[in-house]
Amino acid sequence: MNKLSSLLRGWRLSEYVVIAVEVCGSIALGIGIATLLLYTLGFDPGKGITLLLGGGFTDLDYLLSRATFIMMTGLAFSIPLMAGLFNIGGEGQMYLGGLVSLLTAIYTGNLFLALIAGGIAGLTLGLFIAVLRVYRGVNEVISSIMLNWTLYYLTIYLVTNTFYDPLAPHESIKVPQSARLGLISIGDFKLHIIFPISLVFILLAYFVLYHTKIGFEIRASGLAPKAAKYAGLNPERAMIYAMCLGGFFGGIAGSLNVLGFTYYIDTLLTTMYGMGFDGIGVALMGRGHPIGIVFSSVFFSMLIIGGQSMQMVLNAPKEVADALSGIIIMALALPYVYRMALSYLRARRMIAHGDH
Amino acid sequence: MEIIESLIDLVFLAFTSMVPLLLGAIGEIINERSGVVNIGIEGIFLLSALTSTIVNYFTNNLGLALLTGVVTGMAIGSLHGLISTYLRGDQIVAGVGLNVFAYGMSVIALVTIWGTFGNSPSVSTIPKLKVFGHAVSPLVPTSIAVAVIVWYFLYKTGLGLRLRACGEDPKAAEAMGINVLRTRLLATIIGASLAGLGGSYLSIDWVGQFTKEISAGRGFIALANVAFSNWNPLTAILGAFIFGFFDALAIHLSIVSLQPALAYLFKIIPYLGTLAVVSIFFRRTRIPPALGKPYIKE
Repeated sequence: MNKLSSLLRGWRLSEYVVIAVEVCGSIALGIGIATLLLYTLGFDPGKGITLLLGGGFTDLDYLLSRATFIMMTGLAFSIPLMAGLFNIGGEGQMYLGGLVSLLTAIYTGNLFLALIAGGIAGLTLGLFIAVLRVYRGVNEVISSIMLNWTLYYLTIYLVTNTFYDPLAPHESIKVPQSARLGLISIGDFKLHIIFPISLVFILLAYFVLYHTKIGFEIRASGLAPKAAKYAGLNPERAMIYAMCLGGFFGGIAGSLNVLGFTYYIDTLLTTMYGMGFDGIGVALMGRGHPIGIVFSSVFFSMLIIGGQSMQMVLNAPKEVADALSGIIIMALALPYVYRMALSYLRARRMIAHGDH
Repeated sequence: MEIIESLIDLVFLAFTSMVPLLLGAIGEIINERSGVVNIGIEGIFLLSALTSTIVNYFTNNLGLALLTGVVTGMAIGSLHGLISTYLRGDQIVAGVGLNVFAYGMSVIALVTIWGTFGNSPSVSTIPKLKVFGHAVSPLVPTSIAVAVIVWYFLYKTGLGLRLRACGEDPKAAEAMGINVLRTRLLATIIGASLAGLGGSYLSIDWVGQFTKEISAGRGFIALANVAFSNWNPLTAILGAFIFGFFDALAIHLSIVSLQPALAYLFKIIPYLGTLAVVSIFFRRTRIPPALGKPYIKE
């Protein structure tokens, strides 16, 4: 028994080492290629990378607020992934959540109602994708993307055509004061309240996933659908739960953006565009765990803001940050390579040890 | 009479917009039949459209530009193929990463080469054929011919059988002496090269310039077409026409309608149309059993 527990502890430790190597290795590969890219484009790569990685820290409030949205879209991707589904519809769920929150806020002026309505809207969209998958066999990747584009144009249409602000035609009607989430001051430091709220949502996700029957069903079904079925769980029901939860957090991402940061939606959706996809990288780097997602969302927020400061200072396109996160995501798809590299190193060390 | 005329216009427009959906779908059918799923078609469309525009802009050589697009597809296919076979990576995650990377790269290129964030200058396009007074790209009949050839290859040749065996039961295929990993890698490269041709078509045949997000989800509509066609290149011709028709309808309506705001609503048609069609037809499909699972040689 003692032997077994020490073995288990050893396994867990090396498992963490593998994860650390995977994450650091992917980041290093991404930064390496980004450096090469900047050099090829004729920019000073040293300055570029410094700005890309450091630019985010000039405004801590902005760094954490930006992290809030992709933390939520990170949950939108990671929870369905636990049940074996690829929800790349976080983008659309976020647009819908933002839109529904905005409209609820305008018509009721009630903050709580507006926030919940946005979450429910995202949840409904997630449920729709799950139902298409479970009952009609429609691949969730395809339906998610089709819904992303549908909601993209629908939101733009509604904002430009129906709910535009007569004083600022490129923006929607503003969220009324009574339904806004403001800032809190900690000494001299001002922070948008949405960041602590998102941490509450992270805890909620953690609780549901690891301390409720629903969470257990989701995790068990994703790990081993056949075994889960044999144990009396229902993998299809788990898919529906997981997509509802994921959709809810996707919707909340949009709600927090509109109710707590921008207070309107612009006609090109620039304040939300792309953050659903950023959530995929966040979820993968955070290894799908709510707590990991908190840290990886801050990391990706740092990259996004760093890209913006690089564009301002060096006039290098901020999309270098997108290319960089694309490479990181691709590198994170390769756990086997890191495992092979680690066991190769370990074998070499053992051989070297044996020589003494 | 006017209605009939605009209907004929629509049909020709549908032929124009079906090409990338067909080429992307045939390419994907080849690699999915071998067991590799590549959801990075969207990214290949973007990057191939970009590289062929660049080559056309600087050399004004359409043949070379088209070739560049195909080679771009092959290069991306090699990368994705390696990740999906020998490196045992997660194929969906790699495809997502590819799409994100392609978007970033395409904007970087727009900015550094032409100094704009929206679209490249206009470039020359492939000369059109005249059919009943309508301009038709030679790639329309070409893509249909490719579909027929690929169907013949997959179902009537020994090589095609070997390729399909890798996606049906890789262990049995290996036992029969087929090199599963190499077959999958080659299938992925060939599949991606067809997607590359589709991407080139978008920029140097149809639109005549590279615009940001020129692919606009077409890579995923091509994926929907793969499932709609039940992994059969001949049915994919029909699927591409149906999905292309939605696209044509959206373009046609926004030209005919006098309200510019409505254009945003019309743009929804291809996406909702695609979703509706796959929701109706998906149930009957049979997915290659080993699709998306890394093959681990014992």
